[in-house]
Amino acid sequence: MGICYGGKTLKEAQTAATQLFEKTGRLYGLKELPLLEQDPIKLAKFQSKLVAACVQARDTAKLITANPIALIMSELQFMLGVPEGDLVSSSYGLIGHLQSAPFVVRYIAETGLEEDGIKSGDIFSSNDPKFGAPHPADCFTTIPIFYDGVLMGWAMGMSHIADTGSIQPGGLSAISVSSFTDGYFYPPMKTGENFKQYRWYYEQWQRKTRAGDFNVMDERMRATGATMLHDKVIEIIKEFGPDYYREALKEIMERERRVLTGRVMSETVPGKYEYQAFNRVNFKGLMTNLWPRSDRDWLLNEGCDTYINPDGSLTMDLEGTSSEDEFYANCYESGLRMVSSLGCWPTFAYSKTLNTALQYMTHWKIPPGSMYNPQSPSAGAVTGLIEGQSYLCMFLMVISQARLARGFLEETYTMAGTGSGIASTGAFSDGFEWQGGDWSHICAKAGPPSAFKDGETLNFGGPAPQSDLGEMEATEFIQPTCLYIGRRPLQDYFGHGKYRCGVGLSDLLLIVEPGKRLDFCASAGSGGGVCEPAYGMCGGYPSPNDINAFFVGTNMKEILANGGTYPRDLQEARQWMKEGKLKVDRFFYYNNYTPTINLKDGDIFGLANGLQPGWGDVLERSKALVARDVGEGSMSEETARKVYGVAFSDGKVDERETEKARKQIRDKRRERSVDVQEWWKQERERVRAKEFYEDVNNMYWDCLKWEKFRRKFMGFWQLPEDYSLSMRGGVGNGS
Amino acid sequence: MEASDVTNHVIEDLVTGSLPWDQAKQLIRLDPKDNDRFWKYLAVLQSRVKWKEKILIRISEHLYVVAKGKDRIVKCDCGQEFGDYRMNWKLQAKIFVRRTPEEMAEVYSIDISSPETRLVELREYYCPGCYSLLATEVLPPGFPPFFEMLPDLDTLYREWLGKPLADESPGWFEDKTLELTAEWGRGGVKA
Repeated sequence: MGICYGGKTLKEAQTAATQLFEKTGRLYGLKELPLLEQDPIKLAKFQSKLVAACVQARDTAKLITANPIALIMSELQFMLGVPEGDLVSSSYGLIGHLQSAPFVVRYIAETGLEEDGIKSGDIFSSNDPKFGAPHPADCFTTIPIFYDGVLMGWAMGMSHIADTGSIQPGGLSAISVSSFTDGYFYPPMKTGENFKQYRWYYEQWQRKTRAGDFNVMDERMRATGATMLHDKVIEIIKEFGPDYYREALKEIMERERRVLTGRVMSETVPGKYEYQAFNRVNFKGLMTNLWPRSDRDWLLNEGCDTYINPDGSLTMDLEGTSSEDEFYANCYESGLRMVSSLGCWPTFAYSKTLNTALQYMTHWKIPPGSMYNPQSPSAGAVTGLIEGQSYLCMFLMVISQARLARGFLEETYTMAGTGSGIASTGAFSDGFEWQGGDWSHICAKAGPPSAFKDGETLNFGGPAPQSDLGEMEATEFIQPTCLYIGRRPLQDYFGHGKYRCGVGLSDLLLIVEPGKRLDFCASAGSGGGVCEPAYGMCGGYPSPNDINAFFVGTNMKEILANGGTYPRDLQEARQWMKEGKLKVDRFFYYNNYTPTINLKDGDIFGLANGLQPGWGDVLERSKALVARDVGEGSMSEETARKVYGVAFSDGKVDERETEKARKQIRDKRRERSVDVQEWWKQERERVRAKEFYEDVNNMYWDCLKWEKFRRKFMGFWQLPEDYSLSMRGGVGNGS
Repeated sequence: MEASDVTNHVIEDLVTGSLPWDQAKQLIRLDPKDNDRFWKYLAVLQSRVKWKEKILIRISEHLYVVAKGKDRIVKCDCGQEFGDYRMNWKLQAKIFVRRTPEEMAEVYSIDISSPETRLVELREYYCPGCYSLLATEVLPPGFPPFFEMLPDLDTLYREWLGKPLADESPGWFEDKTLELTAEWGRGGVKA
């Protein structure tokens, strides 16, 4: 006798629901939606109560924790699942997590927890990427909802914790090579009963992570919120009756699926869309004696073919992406769905409520062995969801291209996976140890341009819905030896185009009296110098890369002691360094993740990030817009002339010189370009001679084993069947 | 704004980037959208080009798939033709490849945010007729150009718009790009 309706076991209920969808193409096989048709007001009222229950749980429970990631950065969400695991309602929060939650329940069934007994008041916890969590920093607390002894659903809480006990501080370790260095994680397991966590469970957090207190308070927050949601749902079931409750959840899901496919069919164009992005992993030299098999760099192929299907569903074919390997960048389907859905919500999946009907109209083809479908049980995935960002961008770029074709220009945007965060830990001189967690430091990314306008400056917080993401005072509180000295939009820092993205933001942090130690690391999403995605829209330029820069051994404190001022952004600090005003022992920068760097008193960390690709040909940008850019200081006159061909004299557009400059750029295009066929002939010789830089060679060596990529590569360059490459300079897993 | 307020004039302003933001916001909020948008859009686009071939769909800022005789080809608004739309139009364009930091610096103002030239190159595809910049790619050397969009026109017109094209055929939704490179490999020139 199972716990689900009709005596089915959880596993049986899940299998039945899956089979019904596969057989009919409709969720739960629903052809009619009688509750909606007979009394839509009642259904709307019912649905509103579910949403309110989730929001109420969130807004109350968050006050339990002191962790600013939940309080301020908003990576906290409460959700209501149906018995089979699909999510039917959610609070706000970092809403992509909704898409990974069904995997948690799926694994509760698959791992046989029901056989051990699931009863009212039990608490299940999990943060294992292989079992539903996007990465170990995302912890799920799941409480079953029983009514009259039958499982009616799941109350779930999710939050991003401050530290996972990984080899690097925070939750986005960029020097992890496998699950053994990813930190503390566990598959779905029972961690409490009678709505109370076991004491041993709290002790785990204290012993295995750097932020035990924060993590325990987060646990209490999630368990409290999930319990509140549980209790509220019981009230709703009593009000509407269990039969109505059960059937209404199904109708809400199926109605949503129809809304989403209908929107795709009414606003896009069916067809095949090729998308391309890359990213990097840089381990060479870092792992030499620690983990020799990982002592290499990777260039990761993160492209896909996206099909907008005749029925309004989408299929993403990822065959040909890079293989799983011994790095942090492997990503399971739950992580891929989670982060990529952040590209679905603003494009076609927006609606009045949030649920996982999206999963039934987005189909992912990911071959086993891909970095997005790792098979090794020890695959490192601590930062894998960042690799999933490529597909967040994909949805924006592909759907925008389709909407441009269909005429809905007002719904078009470019998107890049840019943005960075900081995680640091340290010990004051009195020995007090602190842990700062993950912080997305740029409070507002540059808005993306569209087919008819520029993106706005300081426009949106990518990973969270609240605009105070990256609040400086909170950051200084949680990472107390890092003092903000500068923050402003950085001149000339945007993706160029007829319409450009908003101006990117730059921060400068001065390290002040760190005491015994300060271990500092920063992340970046822009692909490590290879741009992500690999194109702009309609001739716009790909977005510039994120920058994490270090000025080590400076005289900044002397400057201040002598009454001097601060540099205000990264470029100004570099200019001061060039002029000798800011003395620096060593300057270095990264366009992607940094290793752990030990910073000292007076060092400066500078960052700039969060850009989007441009839209359209720069030569078509109106002179008035360029004049506005120069006038407000977001663009230099040099860039205006060099990139856009707009010349200035005495602060005003010089019409004659502009005409000349734009003609010069167009003439230069004519002079320097060749027919693609001519380029193909020359390039083909390089490809045949295998004249590739090591990382590029190794990427092709890996990807050529995938039939689809091989067919395209060999066919494009017309290579002989026995063409092959050899791995160079390291040891990989892709042969 | 109601769906009926979305006139050809509004669409034209949207296409030219001159639609006031207040109106653009109303368009964004329109739910459901005007269901005849595609036909109004095509009419506006057709009125803006000097050539006579019927536009079937717009695939980029300057590029359209048009009906020309028995063919469906890609055509730039300047009149330049790129051949069968089932072959990646980039292969009929002009190309300039930025490979050095100096060449990157022409379009990336902050040197330390520029693409890493050891790993990738920046390809710019121009129209051979008007030298508009039609597409950009930052790819590792040797990476085949990607085919941004192959529309399934027959499904769009028949199943989604309810007005099937007269020359429907299952063959219209086939990527034929590699047929062109095969021709090049044999030493031929196929347009």
